[in-house]
Amino acid sequence: MKAEVIWLVALLFLGVAASGCIGGTGTETQAPSTEVQLTGDFTKDVIEIGKVLEANGINEVKFSAWGSGDPNSVMRVYGIVEAARRINRIWEENGINVRIVITETHYVASFQDAYKDYLSKQPLGQAGDFFVNSYAFLPTLAEEGYILDITDYAYAYKGLIDDFYPSLIEASKYKGRLYGLPQDTEARPLYVRKDVAEKIGLDVNSLPEKVKNGEFTWSDVYYWAKKAKESGAAEWGLIHRKGSAHPDLIQFIFAFGGKLYDEETGKLVVDVPAVYKWLYVEWKFAQDGLLPKDIMSWDWAKQIHPTIVEGRTLFDIGGTWYWTEWQTKQYYHGRGLKPEEVKDWFAYTLFPAGEKGLKPVTLSQPFVWMINSKAGQQNPKYDELKDVYHKLAFLILVKASDPDINAIHSVISAHLPVRKEAAKLIKDEKWLNNLKNLNLDLDQEVKENIKDIVKATVNPINAQFLADVSYMLEYTHFAPAHPKYPALADIFKEAVDKVLRGEMTPKEAVDYIIQKVQADPELAQNVEIVGEIPENWTFP
Amino acid sequence: MRDVETRPRKYEWAIILAVFFASLPLILGFSLLILSSFSTDMVTNLDLKSLHFTIENWINVFQGRLAITGGIRTNILRITLNTFIVALGVAGIVTLVSTMAGYSLSRIDFRGRKHLMVLLLLLHAFPGVALIVGVYLLYRLTFPQSPEMVRFYSFFYVVLARGALEIPMSVWLMKGFFDTVPWEFEWSGIIDGASRIKVWWKIMLPLVKPGILAVALFAFLAGWQDIIYVRTFLIDQTLATFIEANIEAEYSHMPLIAAAGTLYLVPTIIFFITAQQLLLQGYSGGIKG
Repeated sequence: MKAEVIWLVALLFLGVAASGCIGGTGTETQAPSTEVQLTGDFTKDVIEIGKVLEANGINEVKFSAWGSGDPNSVMRVYGIVEAARRINRIWEENGINVRIVITETHYVASFQDAYKDYLSKQPLGQAGDFFVNSYAFLPTLAEEGYILDITDYAYAYKGLIDDFYPSLIEASKYKGRLYGLPQDTEARPLYVRKDVAEKIGLDVNSLPEKVKNGEFTWSDVYYWAKKAKESGAAEWGLIHRKGSAHPDLIQFIFAFGGKLYDEETGKLVVDVPAVYKWLYVEWKFAQDGLLPKDIMSWDWAKQIHPTIVEGRTLFDIGGTWYWTEWQTKQYYHGRGLKPEEVKDWFAYTLFPAGEKGLKPVTLSQPFVWMINSKAGQQNPKYDELKDVYHKLAFLILVKASDPDINAIHSVISAHLPVRKEAAKLIKDEKWLNNLKNLNLDLDQEVKENIKDIVKATVNPINAQFLADVSYMLEYTHFAPAHPKYPALADIFKEAVDKVLRGEMTPKEAVDYIIQKVQADPELAQNVEIVGEIPENWTFP
Repeated sequence: MRDVETRPRKYEWAIILAVFFASLPLILGFSLLILSSFSTDMVTNLDLKSLHFTIENWINVFQGRLAITGGIRTNILRITLNTFIVALGVAGIVTLVSTMAGYSLSRIDFRGRKHLMVLLLLLHAFPGVALIVGVYLLYRLTFPQSPEMVRFYSFFYVVLARGALEIPMSVWLMKGFFDTVPWEFEWSGIIDGASRIKVWWKIMLPLVKPGILAVALFAFLAGWQDIIYVRTFLIDQTLATFIEANIEAEYSHMPLIAAAGTLYLVPTIIFFITAQQLLLQGYSGGIKG
């Protein structure tokens, strides 16, 4: 018995010693970690990711950035380039031998085309790792699983998320999950020609306040437009944009207290009373010769913009970006306007309330930075390090949202900043001066590519304009991010064209919209028709 | 000797005038496009007041700039090269397949020949757009896993897919050309001991040169102007997709797009001018035996 006990104890010791040896060798051959936890401390997180990548033998991480929009909005992709440089610098300063290379900066003018391109190339793994586009496409991309759900990553960066305007963060969500970070937004003011207004006695200084209080409504717009036309002060009373892709005109629906989307049912809405009033206003303006009957087919560069900048209209419904577009494009007798001219010639207000008792509005179409759900796949060990690559992509977005990068984009493209910190920066004269001289800590490639835009657009007048219109975001509405909205918008466009040309009365046009919706089974399923044409409603 | 003897000369001017007026919209359209490319504003009507001469648009196009200010520079030479690769690839594959298939259908009697010919006609009737879903599926199935190969493969695939659309009609065209070659030419070769392939290569092909040129030219133009296949499958841009992607009227500086459009026209014009005579021979469908 004693011998057995001695054997057992000896075996136990042997076992312990052996397991110790096994453990010892295990420590020496342990595989490098492939996981990182985001803490919210940006530098710490970047260093941690760098270390994991380095330990896994990765010294270069490749990403591509796709963007689209007007030519001045190049920071939509260069923001990514700059963010990558800033992260590289952190790694360099901390002796981490990893760097990010932005392999492709793909930028096209048409954001719809860019979206289609992304749709067809993403399943094949050829779409950009970063994709900036209208929030309107976000639900479809999220539904398809083409973009990354960053909700969990964003928890660690609550401070940053809270600095974005809340409505814009909401626009970056789908079914309660966050799929991107806002990149820019805009408002659509009602521009007023000061010289024409002066001729007819319209006080433009008090106008923004009156509009804000709902005292100046579309009936007043009609009154003054008519006065401008009849007195010969202007050829037209009002000019507006055209086409269904431009959601300016649906502001009328919101201004008349209507809605376009039902949160509860998830369906689009044809709000009959509001749509009728919108069409009636358009019809009345056009029939009285205050708005061109054929404006929906006018040419942007040869008709719409020259009519505005040459002072041939009292009012214009446009976007904030018009402010710099008029300076960089040759719409005024073959030249662009000087910043001083734009300031001296144009006043701007919110889009007035439809009628007394209602509120003024504006409309935004925020652009959102999204991450491809396959981001980083062109890099080695993608399957093992997928999570690390995705978190790094998120951190690039965090960096690209730095206030200065966002503020540069705002100033040079006349879009509104999406962060409160960026909004503060554009009011800072010293910073603005540094931007004008490109005396900022920016990537050389970025500097080279924005220098002529900076030269043309950076000045205190433009910055002041942006600061002045920022308040409009508090009144903003969004076009519905619904896959069938473009089809409905096309029908609205046809109806507007028909009432402007006098081919239909507003009532007939409303019936036309309803019939067209009901004739398309998919639209009929996705659209609710709400309310009746208001009897006894008069305008102005 | 005149080619058409039956036509009275007195109507010649009437016909020329009629052809001129019929093609006037095209001539005007292209002229305005070319004029606009040298102007600060688009020249969109016959009133030439908006023509303010400048070569800035062309400079910007060659620098790959899309706007007067701003924009990301695009490598336009690379884009032009991509367009050439696709166009020449399509021309090559279509010419090779259709000269061989056309010869077989013209000269060799095999089982199912007639059915094959009918099928080819039927295939030609299918528009490329209708096939794109299936072609896309095939692309996904054959897609290489290695990211380095993707760019190369996308060129390869576009050339094959676009070429496949052109092949049915080209085979018919080539068959027509081979049909016009008298059998005696071939027999003499075969009697002398040449193989079928040798006869095809040494005797038949030189006799149908205008046909080959016509097929190659049309295939080249099909590849040059293709937009939907290129846009769906090719990773890189071609001139067609470059112009399309930047034509959004509100943002774009249209005279610059006009310059890109004119650049896009140049190879077509050069080809037609240089190959005109051979093409006419091809259309008259004959060889001089």
